[in-house]
Amino acid sequence: MQGVAIPITMVAGNSWMHRINPLPKLLFALGILIFSFATRNPMLLGTVFAVGVFLALTSGIWAQYFKIVQIFFPISLTLITLQSIAPAFPLPWTAIATYGPFTIYQEGIYSGLSMLLRIYCMTTFALVVIMTSHPSDMFVSLQKIGMPYVLNFIFTMTLQLIPILQNEFSTVLSAQKSRGMKGSGFGALLPSMVPVFVGAIERVQQLSISLESRAFGSSGTKTSYRNVTFAFKDYLVGVVGVLITGGLTAWVLLDPSLDWSRTLQFAPEVALGIVLLSTVGFLAFFVVAIFYIVRA
Amino acid sequence: MERTPHIEISQLTFTYATAEKPALKNINLTIYEGEYVALLGLNGAGKTTLLLTLNGVIPHMVMGDMEGVVTIAGRDTDALPVRELAKVVGIVFDNPEFQLSQLTVAEEVAFGLENLGVPQAQMHDIIHEVLGVVGLTGLHERSPFALSGGQQQRLAIASALVMRPQIFVMDEPTSNVDPIGKEEIFQVARQLNQQHGMTVVISEHEVEVMAEYADRVIVLHEGEIVLNGHPREVFQQVKLLKEIGLRVPQVTEMAYMLDTQGLWHAGDAYPITVAEALHVFAKYRKEYRI
Amino acid sequence: MTSTALIRCEHLHHVYARGNVTALNNINLEIQPREIIGIIGQNGSGKTSLVKHFNGLLKPSSGRVLLDGQDTAKRRVQELSADVGYVFQNPNHQLFAKTVEEELEFGPRNLGLSQADIVERREKAIEFFGLQEYRTHHPYRISFPLRKLVGMASVYTMQPRVFILDEPTTGQDNITTRTVYRLIQRLRDEGKTVICVSHDMILLAEVAERMIVMRNAQIIADATPRSVFADSAIMQSTRITPPQVTEFGVQYMQQVTRPLTESGLKPTVVLSVQEAIDTLFAQDQK
Repeated sequence: MQGVAIPITMVAGNSWMHRINPLPKLLFALGILIFSFATRNPMLLGTVFAVGVFLALTSGIWAQYFKIVQIFFPISLTLITLQSIAPAFPLPWTAIATYGPFTIYQEGIYSGLSMLLRIYCMTTFALVVIMTSHPSDMFVSLQKIGMPYVLNFIFTMTLQLIPILQNEFSTVLSAQKSRGMKGSGFGALLPSMVPVFVGAIERVQQLSISLESRAFGSSGTKTSYRNVTFAFKDYLVGVVGVLITGGLTAWVLLDPSLDWSRTLQFAPEVALGIVLLSTVGFLAFFVVAIFYIVRA
Repeated sequence: MERTPHIEISQLTFTYATAEKPALKNINLTIYEGEYVALLGLNGAGKTTLLLTLNGVIPHMVMGDMEGVVTIAGRDTDALPVRELAKVVGIVFDNPEFQLSQLTVAEEVAFGLENLGVPQAQMHDIIHEVLGVVGLTGLHERSPFALSGGQQQRLAIASALVMRPQIFVMDEPTSNVDPIGKEEIFQVARQLNQQHGMTVVISEHEVEVMAEYADRVIVLHEGEIVLNGHPREVFQQVKLLKEIGLRVPQVTEMAYMLDTQGLWHAGDAYPITVAEALHVFAKYRKEYRI
Repeated sequence: MTSTALIRCEHLHHVYARGNVTALNNINLEIQPREIIGIIGQNGSGKTSLVKHFNGLLKPSSGRVLLDGQDTAKRRVQELSADVGYVFQNPNHQLFAKTVEEELEFGPRNLGLSQADIVERREKAIEFFGLQEYRTHHPYRISFPLRKLVGMASVYTMQPRVFILDEPTTGQDNITTRTVYRLIQRLRDEGKTVICVSHDMILLAEVAERMIVMRNAQIIADATPRSVFADSAIMQSTRITPPQVTEFGVQYMQQVTRPLTESGLKPTVVLSVQEAIDTLFAQDQK
């Protein structure tokens, strides 16, 4: 865990995505979210996912996006493995093959695939938005549409705290190792959380005094330092985004032929291949991750 | 010259909710406009407690029992909320990082302005001015957490300065900062006092620096004021300060030790700075060739 | 050439992956047993990065660090902790037990000592650091300076051969600072090697026998405190000021030097108030 930062933060850049106001982008991402839940059609989800990847590529955030994806996506492969043997899907289930106590079902693979793609879609668009928007601008935009000021503040503070607390934790681990602490198992990590929490509490206590001493919580209008403007292109993106995602959602809800849950059949070899690949992929990642954690 | 009282503390006693003994006992103190006051004392003597009463954090944000009256620029701290007193008293603490929360330096400074409802059009100039005072010009877009300790503390000072306080309180501002940072912070404190006319109250352990810059030194011990006067007066009391467990400037200690060995010219004040020491010893050399 | 050095750095180079920062640039250094060393320099000069290599918290990017002739790169921090103790600057990073006693027992327990030994060491530490009143206190319920002492005590109970103290007097008042002085003196009497990273020049002037000055990831001076404080070029380049009494001494000597050069008396750099008195007294005596 040492030194692994969670790099979910804005990536500096000047791509066309960067130059769009965060609000329409947030709206777009929300639309994608709704769409993703409205359908299980793997092809549609896959296409939208591909569009998301294209956006990531063209906004200059690919390196950072990939960094997150390479950790996150392999973990999600378990979904296919688990779903294939126990589909979260209404009966009846069509079996493809049986291996010992495990039976692989068509609906399982379908369900697993669509869940996976759903997650990939949402994550990709969310990351594209977060990585191309300055957090302060995002919060100011949300405030403009009525989000309470305090929430803004809580979000900002949390964003700051995550890397800080990670650092603290890492330092605490170093201090404990320097006193001969044996074992890097969870039992050893748990007591190390105490100093981090105490530190966080002390920090927040001090911070609240500092904030109050700068008139935090004053009633009356609060002004804003950051200037978030709306240009024509922002309205355009907003409108287009809503239309596209709205249209897609409407389409999948209204057109029953898009529901491939009963019609998509995987050949046994293909099905088995998919499951094996997912399982191997996930296990391989798991092994590598444990190796890194133990070595730290 | 008539001096205007800026801070008036009358019979102040404060006991923390979880404590048995009072942290401050019957404190009576007047600090005048434009003074640079150093507050000395061991950890636990009550320095932080006393400073927190100056902007109302005690009694409004800390649980405990407060008796007595604290008046800041004519305002009773018990009657006004902290956010109102914040317009008169700026305060920074010993951990620079714990005072920061925003994503960029400019936003950190702007925070107070936003809370006060200052129009956006005016913000830019004020921020620029204030960053200039503390020597952080050009660092607008930097993350506060990427700054050095000294820079962070100066940022904390700048963030409080936008409130345009008349009084600036600093609780051990340099204790977690490296030597260069310490110098920078002391310089800013001096500037605020000399160039901007602010009353500065600073608690510190760096006695050599305080001897040099302070107009007044107040020594706290176990919640009570034991010494209160010009640095030269206070630091003469070497024996008392040692008994309390405090240090005096090294040159002062040197003179004191010579005195105990019968090698000091009676009637001469102990020097408290290097310049004073050189002057006194030059005098000796000519007269006594000790 | 074999060296009997306790710690040896050979062409030690360290680069932090994040931001590609060179923290240590070709450091070559030998530390003998029983040395009391002060390491000074501004934040970012590399002092903390250097000492973290001694107990394995950092491993070299290139070059070697040897403890007793053995390469530390191959050894784990936990292993090295028996020989090299590291007292962190912020005690909060270490403390997590429910009582001060438990905290003091943590280190020796990890070393696998018998309960009797653990208790003996614990008591010795409590006595030395004056923690009797606070035995059963929760570490977070005592004042910060006391916590810092507990942090030092909890490494003291491990009785390593080398003690690394990271800014032991920062955030401390005079009384707890004096305990640090006594600690270093006690450690010296016990034959330990002490490496003290500090900004406290008054402390180092009194206790250090050797000063290493760092700047920009390199060692720019490695000599006695007297030589280092006397070297105004070094002091200015690293923007560190010597103790007040030393500055006074230097300026005073400059004032009196002219009449005294005939008597052949050489100006010396004084490191403490007592020394200033002895020197001045002797100097001025005809």
